[in-house]
Amino acid sequence: MKAIRQFFENQRRHFEGNGPLAPLEPFYEAMERVFFGTGQVTGQAPHARDSLTVQRYMMLVIVMLLPCLFFGMYNVGLQSFKAAGHPLDFWPMMVFGAKIVLPLVIISYLFGFGWEIVFSAIRKHPISEGVFVTAMLFPLTLPPTTPWWQAALGISFGVVLGKEVFGGTGRNFLNPALTGRAFLYFAYPIQMSGDAVWTAVYNHGAQAVDAVTAATPLALATTAPASQTVEQTLAAAGYDFSTLFLGFYPDSIGASSALLCLIGAVVLMIIGVASYRIILGDIIGVLALGYVLNLFAGEGSAPYLGMNPFYHLIIGGTAFGIAFMTTDPVSAPDTHAARWIYGFFIGALTVLIRVFNPAFPEGIMLAILFMNVFAPLLDHLVIRLRIRKRIPNI
Amino acid sequence: MQKLTIKKGYRFRMAGAPADDLIVLPAPARVAVLPERVPHIKPRLLVKKGDQVQIGSPLFEDKRNPRFKFLSPGGGTIHDISFGPRRVIQAIVIDRKETPEPETRFQAVTENQLAQIERQELVDRILDGGMWWAFRELPFRDLPAPDGEPPFILISLNAKEPFQPSPAVYLKDQEQLLAYGLKALNVLAPGKVRVFADASESSVIEKAGQWLTHVVSGNYPCDDPATVLYRIKSDASQNRAWFVAGQDLLALAHLLREGRYPIRRVVAVAGSAAPDRRHCHIRLGAPLSQMVEDARLHGGERFVVGGLFRGYSSDSDGYVGFYETAVNVVPEGGEPEFLALFNPGVSRPSYSRTFLSRLNPKALVYNCNMHGDLRACIACMHCADVCPVDLLPQMIYKSILAEEVEEYLELGLLDCVECGLCSYVCPSKIELSRTFIATKAAYAKEQAVKPD
Repeated sequence: MKAIRQFFENQRRHFEGNGPLAPLEPFYEAMERVFFGTGQVTGQAPHARDSLTVQRYMMLVIVMLLPCLFFGMYNVGLQSFKAAGHPLDFWPMMVFGAKIVLPLVIISYLFGFGWEIVFSAIRKHPISEGVFVTAMLFPLTLPPTTPWWQAALGISFGVVLGKEVFGGTGRNFLNPALTGRAFLYFAYPIQMSGDAVWTAVYNHGAQAVDAVTAATPLALATTAPASQTVEQTLAAAGYDFSTLFLGFYPDSIGASSALLCLIGAVVLMIIGVASYRIILGDIIGVLALGYVLNLFAGEGSAPYLGMNPFYHLIIGGTAFGIAFMTTDPVSAPDTHAARWIYGFFIGALTVLIRVFNPAFPEGIMLAILFMNVFAPLLDHLVIRLRIRKRIPNI
Repeated sequence: MQKLTIKKGYRFRMAGAPADDLIVLPAPARVAVLPERVPHIKPRLLVKKGDQVQIGSPLFEDKRNPRFKFLSPGGGTIHDISFGPRRVIQAIVIDRKETPEPETRFQAVTENQLAQIERQELVDRILDGGMWWAFRELPFRDLPAPDGEPPFILISLNAKEPFQPSPAVYLKDQEQLLAYGLKALNVLAPGKVRVFADASESSVIEKAGQWLTHVVSGNYPCDDPATVLYRIKSDASQNRAWFVAGQDLLALAHLLREGRYPIRRVVAVAGSAAPDRRHCHIRLGAPLSQMVEDARLHGGERFVVGGLFRGYSSDSDGYVGFYETAVNVVPEGGEPEFLALFNPGVSRPSYSRTFLSRLNPKALVYNCNMHGDLRACIACMHCADVCPVDLLPQMIYKSILAEEVEEYLELGLLDCVECGLCSYVCPSKIELSRTFIATKAAYAKEQAVKPD
C-alpha cells in the first residue's frame, strides 16, 4: 500500500502545475481515487459526511454487470460452437467467447474513457465515473458479430453526442450507452437490427452457421406464421421459456440472460442504487400492455398479439434494459412519482414498438430513449403538483 | 397533547453519547461572547478593551435595532476584542473579577404580576434585560421584530441532533421555572405557544406533560421548530412563527423571575474522541478548554460547538456561543484510505444501503472526512428522501445556481430546516445546505431593505 501511495506521490508532479502532463490531471485524479479515497475534510457544517461516493455508486453497477459479461463470453462461445458443430467443452468456449467479447469491452473503455479524458482536460473538470458504467454497458448491448471499428464509433458517438456536448455526467438527458447503441442501429441496420444471424463464427466460417440457428427470438416472434402461436414458433426454433430465461440463445452479448439481469436488478434495488419504482414500473408496463394486446388477439390477427406477456420480459434486451438502462438516474426523471410513470411508459412502449413495428424488432432501446426525452416533462408536471400542495412560504 | 410523526430525516447510530450525569464546573477565569455566531445581526460595540463591566452590562447592540442588546455573562475587565476578516467581531473576552463579581440587577416580575402585565411592558423588560436573542423568527432564524405578535411560539424541549443535552438533565428541578417561562410566553402570544418533546423522552413527557402540546416521534431533525411548523401550519400567514430553545426559555424565565441576567447553561460534552462524555453545568460563554482537557486528547480531533450538523468548528481555546449547548469532539480524519472504494464498510456510517454497516447494530464512529470529492449531481434522490420538510434539494440547488429566485422560493427554500442532512447524504459531495443557508440569508437581507 505504501509503495502504491509512493508511486502516486512521485507521479503527481508530472500532472500538476507546469508538469508536462498537466492537462491530464483529471486522469491522474481518477486513477488516484480508485486506489485511495480523498483525504479531504469538511470545512463547515455539516461536519460529518456520508461514506457513499459517486465512485462507489458507479462501481456497484459495474460489479452487477460482471455476471452478465462473463455469461456473455460463455454464451457467445456456446452459440458459435453449437453452430459449428464443435464439442461443447467449457473452457474452449469461454476462451473463444472472451476473444470475441473482451476486445469489444476494451475498445469501448479505450474510446469512452479517452473521450472523457479529452473533455475533462479541456473543461478542467474531474473525470466523471459514469463513463466507466457507460463503457461497460455499451459492449454488452452489441451483437458479438460487431466489427471493432463499429464499436469504437458507437461508444464515441454515445459519449460525445449523448453526454459530453450537453456538459457531461449529470447534464445529459439521454442514456449515453443507448445513444451509442441507437446510432449503430440506425447507421448499420444490416448488422444491428436483430433479424440477421447474431452468432460469432467459429473458425472463420469453416462450417455453415445457418445449419443450427437462424434469427434471434425477436425476429422470429414477428414473423411467426398465423397457424402457430409465437410460443410454439419459438419452441420449434429451440427457444423454450427456460432457454430464453436463462439466456442460452444468440442475442446481444450481455443481454440474453434474463436471470442474471433479474439478479442484478434485485441487488441494485436492495442496495438502493437502482430505483425500484422504475424497475417495477417497467415490468408493470410490459405486462399490462402485453395483456391488453392479448385481448385483441384472435382469429386472423398476427400471432404476436397473443404472445404471453412474460415472453416480452425474457426475449431480447428487455431484462437488460430494465435492470441497467432505465435505472440510469441521470437520464431518468428525478421525482418518485415521475419514475413510476416513466417506467410504465417504457414497458408499454417496448411492447407496442415490438408488436406493431416490424422494422424494429427490439423495442426497449427506442422506448427508453423516447422516455428519456420526456423525463424532464414528467418531472415538471410532478413538481407543479407538489408545489400546489405546499403552503407557500415567500 | 397531539402526536406528530415525522417519517423522513435520519437516525444516527453515532458513537460517543454523553452520560446522563451533570458536573458543575467552577466559574472560569475568562468568559466570552461571540457576536460572529449570532446570525444576521450587525453588531455595534458598546465597550472597548480595558473597560470594566458587570454581569448584565451591555457589550454590543444590533445596528439594525439598537434595542437588541447583548449583555455580559461575566463581571470584570474586557480582556480582548478579537476581529476576524473584514472586521467581523469574533469574540469579546472578559477577565472575570473574583468574588464579589459585580452584577447589574433588573426588575423582577413575580408570578402574580405576570398574570396582569401588559404585553408591551413584558417585551420592554425582555429587551432591556438583554434576552431578546432567545427569540428567533422562522424562516430566517433571525431576531424577530418586538412589535408584532407571532402566529406561534414554538418551544422544542430537546434536540435530536447528536449530541445535545438531554432535556431530562437540564430540566431537572427546573419545572417551576419552565412553567413560569411558558406563562410569560403566553403573555407575548396568548394561546399560541406550542411546546413539544420527543416521544422517546418519557421522563420529560411525564414531568412536563401538562405543558406539552405535541409529542413528536421520528428521526433527526423531527423536533426542530421548523419541521414541526411545517407539519402544523395551516396557512401561509403562520410562516413567520417564533421559536425558543428549551434552555433559552429557562434563561428567559430566570431573567424575568429573579431580575438577574441568566448565566447558567447545561452543555453536553460528547463525541467519539471526547475524553469525558457528560453534561456540564457551565457559565454562559465558558472556554472549551474548561470542558475538554487538552492533555487527554491525542491530536487530530475537531471541536464542533453546537452539534456536528449545524455547529461551528473551533480551536480548543475557543468559547461556547449564545445559542450552542453542545461540544462534540470528533476525529478530524483526513487520511487517504487505501481502496476505500471497495471497502465492504462494516463500520462505515452511511445513509445509503451500499455498506455492510447497515447490518452492524453497533454505534459507529463519525469523522470529518469528506469521503470523496465534488462531482456532478447524479439524481440519486437521497437528499429528497431524507429532507424532513419534503423539499427537492437538488432542484432548489439547481435553481439557485440558475438564479431563478421565484422558482426556488416556490419550491420551498424558505421551509428549509437547515438541518444539513442533504449535504450529509450527498454522494456527489455538493454543499447543498450551505448554499441554502447562504441564499436564505441573502434573501433575508434583501427583504430587510426598507424602500424609502
